[in-house]
Amino acid sequence: MAGRNTQKIEGKVGFLGAGKMASALAIGFISSGVVPANNILMSTASSEPEELKAKGVTHFVGNNVKVVEGSDIVIIAVKPHIVPLVVKEIAPHINIRKHIVVSIAAGYKLEYFEQAFACGTRVVRVMPNTPVLVSEGVSIVSLGSNCEAQVATQMKMLFSSVGVCEELPERLQDSVTGLAGSGPAYVFMMMDSLADGAVKMGVPRPLAIKLAAQTCLGSAKMLLETGKHPGQLKDEVCSPGGATICAVHKLEEAGFRSAIIDAVQASTLKARTLGE
Amino acid sequence: MRIGFLGAGKMAGAIMRGFIDSGVAEAKHIIASCPKQDHGLLEKITKLGVVTTHENGRVVKESNVVIVCTKPNVVRKVLTEVSSKVTRQNLIISVALGVTIKTMEKALPENTRVIRVMPNIPALVRMSASVYTLGNNVLDGDTDIVQKLLCSIGYCEEIHESLMDIATALSGSGPAYVFTVIQSLADGAVKMGMPRAQALRLAAQAVMGSAKLVIDSGEHPDSLKDDVCSPGGCTIYAMHSLERGGFRSSLIEAVEIATNRAKAIGES
Repeated sequence: MAGRNTQKIEGKVGFLGAGKMASALAIGFISSGVVPANNILMSTASSEPEELKAKGVTHFVGNNVKVVEGSDIVIIAVKPHIVPLVVKEIAPHINIRKHIVVSIAAGYKLEYFEQAFACGTRVVRVMPNTPVLVSEGVSIVSLGSNCEAQVATQMKMLFSSVGVCEELPERLQDSVTGLAGSGPAYVFMMMDSLADGAVKMGVPRPLAIKLAAQTCLGSAKMLLETGKHPGQLKDEVCSPGGATICAVHKLEEAGFRSAIIDAVQASTLKARTLGE
Repeated sequence: MRIGFLGAGKMAGAIMRGFIDSGVAEAKHIIASCPKQDHGLLEKITKLGVVTTHENGRVVKESNVVIVCTKPNVVRKVLTEVSSKVTRQNLIISVALGVTIKTMEKALPENTRVIRVMPNIPALVRMSASVYTLGNNVLDGDTDIVQKLLCSIGYCEEIHESLMDIATALSGSGPAYVFTVIQSLADGAVKMGMPRAQALRLAAQAVMGSAKLVIDSGEHPDSLKDDVCSPGGCTIYAMHSLERGGFRSSLIEAVEIATNRAKAIGES
């Protein structure tokens, strides 16, 4: 969980890109103490300048080349369609001994960056999901071929500051996209529907939403903390002849499990085609 | 122990065979009755070496334990018929679907020792799943008697009568669902090119082994399922197909429907 990481990263971390993800990551790094605020370089076009300043960020840099020159770790956090432009712009300024280039762009493979930059460039691909915005994200790190083991350690330190971080071979990135990348959407849909059900049965909407979210949060926490099988946890809620088992049957009838398996599969397959 | 069977059909035969094979009763100490028109059934069980008769009253007179195995709709009639022969020496055990303790005690003399049992067809191979409910007039040793008898044909458990209809739908009817599973698994294998006999044997063994693993390991079935499903492997693909087909839901519904039917029959 974020905030418990007291080890520090050596060197400066610069962000290319000015969106929510860049800001969220910067704030996460600073809050956890893994990168001091004055070691962070943000774009002047950043979407949350006030929040970043409040956290102690002082270096707002006007162009990408300056960010790269001032950083050791360069995080490419631009929109996917901008990636080729940015890559072309910064490639001549990448120093293979100094820089680690981290891409959080969906659909761009390690191979793409390794070919775009000088031979020997250390490239990392990280897929964080949206809940990094609240420091409960899932970030999956895949290392390029020029990365030594220490790079993995540094990446895990950085991205553990905004949630859970695991290293996986690149070929599993798309599968994790299907689960953790798209997953929040499925959960939002579920919470929305839980709230709808409650509203239908007479509960005021704002309360229904709050309770729906807390139910999901609590259930996830139980799963993570008890280490019990989810089937077991489900059984523990279903008393004989009770309300829950009636509801569970309804879900089984409607193909709930199958729908979710289908969703993860569809997202994974789509991510694969996007990456080609 | 002298054991009498009122009725000589499939269930009676299965239970009888189980008792004899396990040694809990000798064939010559077993007597079974059925109506004259069903004498074909008696021929089958005569081969076991048991005594046969067309007189229900004789069965009751010559036995300690009387097992009522008739079709459910004639149980009341048969019990009423033999009532005058029933004494406190008899333990009357019914395996008939939907026949309640209340019904039995009402048809028989006051203070008759009565037990209601729901066994299932694997009694034929001494792997029955049986549940029993004690009547109001049983003696202290009667639990031991019924457990000895039922353990000789498989597994048994005492339950509250309110759960009988559910047990009927689950362990009573369950074998039918499982036979269908086995046949269908075999069909799938045959479709893919395996000879039928081999497919059937492997399907049945897979089901038997899986059931044993659930019972022996005490692990949650979904957890055991996970243990078989390697990432990206063929099993998880098949599981997805089953989920899409509403496999779980079908089984839940089957048990629900059978329970409701057992209940309706019991009330009719």
